[in-house]
Amino acid sequence: MEDVTIKIKGMMCGHCEKTVAEAAKNVKGVTKALSDFKKGEAKVSFDSSVTDLETIKKAIADSGYEVIEDGEACPIPVRSATVPQQVKTVDKEGGIKKDFEYDSSKVSLAEFENAITSLGYGVAKNEVTLKVGLMHCASCALNIETALKKTPGITSVNVSFPLERARISYDPEQISAPDMIKIIEGVGYTASEKLDRSDADREQRAREEEIKRQRTNFIIALVLAVPISLGDMGRNLNWTFVPDILKNDYLLFILATLVMLFPGRQFFVGTYKGLRHGMTDMNLLIATGTGAAYTVSVAATFLDLGEAYKHTYYDTAALLIMFIVLGRYLEAFTKGKTSEAIRKLMGLAAKTARIIVNGEEKEIPVEAVKFNDIVVVRPGEKIPVDGKVTEGLTAVDESMLTGESMPVEKTAGSEVIGATMNKTGMIKFQATKVGADTALAQIIKLVEDAQTQKAPIQKLADIVAGHFILAVHVLALLAFFFWFFIGFEYFNVPGTFGMGMTSPFLFSLLISITVLIISCPCAVGLATPIAIMVGTGKGAENGILIKGGEALEKAQKLDTIVFDKTGTLTKGEPALTDVIAIKGSESEVLKLAAIAEKGSEHPLGEAILKGAKERGIDLPDAEGFRAIPGHGVEVKYRGKKVLIGTRKLMAENGMDITPLSARLEELEHSGKTAMIVAQDNEIVGMIAVADTLKESSKEAVEELHKMGFSVAMITGDNKRTADAIAKQVGIDRVLSEVLPEDKASEIKKLQSEGKKVAMVGDGINDAPALMQSDVGIAIGSGTDVAIESAQIVLIKNDVRDVSKSIRLSRMTLNKIKQNLFWAFFYNSVGIPIAMGILYPFTSPPFLLNPAVAAAAMAASSVTVTMNTLLMKRIKLDR
Amino acid sequence: MEKKLGVYSIIASLVTSVVIVSFFYLIALQKLGAHPDIYRPVDVYAGMVYVFILAMIVSASIWPGIIEKRLIKN
Repeated sequence: MEDVTIKIKGMMCGHCEKTVAEAAKNVKGVTKALSDFKKGEAKVSFDSSVTDLETIKKAIADSGYEVIEDGEACPIPVRSATVPQQVKTVDKEGGIKKDFEYDSSKVSLAEFENAITSLGYGVAKNEVTLKVGLMHCASCALNIETALKKTPGITSVNVSFPLERARISYDPEQISAPDMIKIIEGVGYTASEKLDRSDADREQRAREEEIKRQRTNFIIALVLAVPISLGDMGRNLNWTFVPDILKNDYLLFILATLVMLFPGRQFFVGTYKGLRHGMTDMNLLIATGTGAAYTVSVAATFLDLGEAYKHTYYDTAALLIMFIVLGRYLEAFTKGKTSEAIRKLMGLAAKTARIIVNGEEKEIPVEAVKFNDIVVVRPGEKIPVDGKVTEGLTAVDESMLTGESMPVEKTAGSEVIGATMNKTGMIKFQATKVGADTALAQIIKLVEDAQTQKAPIQKLADIVAGHFILAVHVLALLAFFFWFFIGFEYFNVPGTFGMGMTSPFLFSLLISITVLIISCPCAVGLATPIAIMVGTGKGAENGILIKGGEALEKAQKLDTIVFDKTGTLTKGEPALTDVIAIKGSESEVLKLAAIAEKGSEHPLGEAILKGAKERGIDLPDAEGFRAIPGHGVEVKYRGKKVLIGTRKLMAENGMDITPLSARLEELEHSGKTAMIVAQDNEIVGMIAVADTLKESSKEAVEELHKMGFSVAMITGDNKRTADAIAKQVGIDRVLSEVLPEDKASEIKKLQSEGKKVAMVGDGINDAPALMQSDVGIAIGSGTDVAIESAQIVLIKNDVRDVSKSIRLSRMTLNKIKQNLFWAFFYNSVGIPIAMGILYPFTSPPFLLNPAVAAAAMAASSVTVTMNTLLMKRIKLDR
Repeated sequence: MEKKLGVYSIIASLVTSVVIVSFFYLIALQKLGAHPDIYRPVDVYAGMVYVFILAMIVSASIWPGIIEKRLIKN
């Protein structure tokens, strides 16, 4: 005896389940057959000496359903998997688990994961997201990545500087999250596990504290730097309006020391912590620059070093710190704005829920709601978790999650999404997803994951930022050598400034300090992640979930969009389209058909019933309902036999259908399912039902055409039907009669023609095609946002969002390019000027003041952030 | 290995910095001799301190990576 599970596509209801099970049971040798339309499978027990699996599959296929062969991608995507070194546990949606073992000497973990994902399954690893503090620039993020990557058991690390997150894949048998926190703390940063709502609140508070701290630092630096600058410059330039007391070296020393001790301390502490662990970051550049200016000034104050050393540079040190602290304040402020989307999403969640306990309502924290609890929501209240309505009628505003402005009507059986707003009536619903499983929690996770993922374009920025600090110190050293040994004498600096005014050391030192100060790895490091943060955040606000920078980059290179037909361009559920009366009126024919289908669970029957109800037809009960699988139904109404079904059913009942053939074929050729209605073995009419187009499909295709895309449709329908539908929506290329398993190879064919293809599908049946395409776009259903096979998920189930998502991708990538251009341009122009390249060519000789360099440096990262924030104001509609 | 890496890195960085500072000192001495009106001993000594600091930062960033690779190779 053998037990098998056969994957089946096309089962839509209990009736289909029955048909499949019957088909399998009818095979000789099959002892038991149970099918489940929700799981899309049939479990069959059979005697292998009497029959074989192929015969059973054929019988099921002959009953009108598609059998999915082994090795094909399962239509149910794998949700998550834990990956110890030797065993993977794959947890499928629906609770099916599968353990994999592999030989790590023959295949690497990454190769194994790739093999699974290439089959259309998703593999979620043991991942942890840590909140990282005290990062000041992209170099800090790279320092943490380097330290973690060196650690055994860590398979991948992504540290986002603007998001202050580290996303780490790891082997739990070798390392744990507390170990990783220790490693991060060991290199001079703080780390903690996150994330729930209270963490988000804490994070918000921490950000506010940082803004406050930098604002206080800036005010102190400003208050001290103004008299220092007046005093120092007043003395050097003989400004008579400056009181003599301010020109006093000892007073300037005290004021400058206060600047170094309070607002400036953070740079020296940061440098010390980094150097202790062999790490260099932005702090080192600032500490070296300001420290050198301050030290030289202190030496000049307390030692007699000669005429040229009578000048102090306290103003340089103070102004440098003032401008850099101003930059940090503005950066902390604007960075907070970029992560607003996630905070807004987190803030959407309800704090409490009212559940029924022993027949009475009880208010509990939302975290305490359990699966299957009955939750009561009154008008004006937030729906606390995801669930299914059991009682009541209401309209729910889902705009906060889906972007859909119109409230959605909910009755018993409707699904409700946590964090949406109940508008009109009181409802009771059964909690189906709680905690981390709710749609909101999944959206937040998806957006956060996307924001911590690096775009390929960031590689260049990372390479630059990774070696930036070192390169700048080398340049500062070279500039110092050049001006000390060659430039000072060759370009007659003493002649220009006067010998008593400067010395080779001081002149070269100031140039070297300016090089250190003007260099800004922050702008380079921020350019990409900050644009991805804002782009993905804006997407989430509009019901478009983009899974990371790679998807963004690929989306802007697309030239062909392939739509799956059923459920994507069409509604995916049949609707009544034609009623043709042969005897009596159309409404009489429809009434008879609807009465007959009243007891049917079949989607076609439901469509007829719905059509009749919409036309206000009264539907009395019939007697003796009998479903004839694969053919139709039979009932008795007012003593007369009513039949509705196929040609075969009518022929078997002795009716001649030849006169109807032409009309039937015409209906079928236009993609409709035609049924014949008969009363007392006399044909009275025909009814046609079809999967109708979504209202937005035509507009979506038109918009894509306007954007210059070639649009194709892929379907299993015959060519004539597919052409008819494609014509209605204006699609130029039709890939018809494509079996579900062949959709991926059709996409591959298009790619081999050199096209960059996006596949738009429902994310479940189209998983292999979505995976094969350059960008898989899944049309979600509000709650199902964790579609693994897609890189972009459209929550709203609106195909018009395809063009919006592509527009958003283009916009984000343009912003990344702009940011990178400005960051590189700023550094590649600023550093040579700071090195004194203009000095020989200008008259009077031009040298960049270190304080101006500090202001420019502070401005560069703020400019990148502000430029990115402009994206928030752009509308995605056009 | 961590300890070895740290010690070797510090030694290599110190040696590199001393070499660079010595190079600076030798040229500076020549300049001091040739142009006593421009260069003063204080420029040379202050310059040596600054060059040493920058050279230490640069070499301490380069050597650990090189030494780590060598240690792993051996």
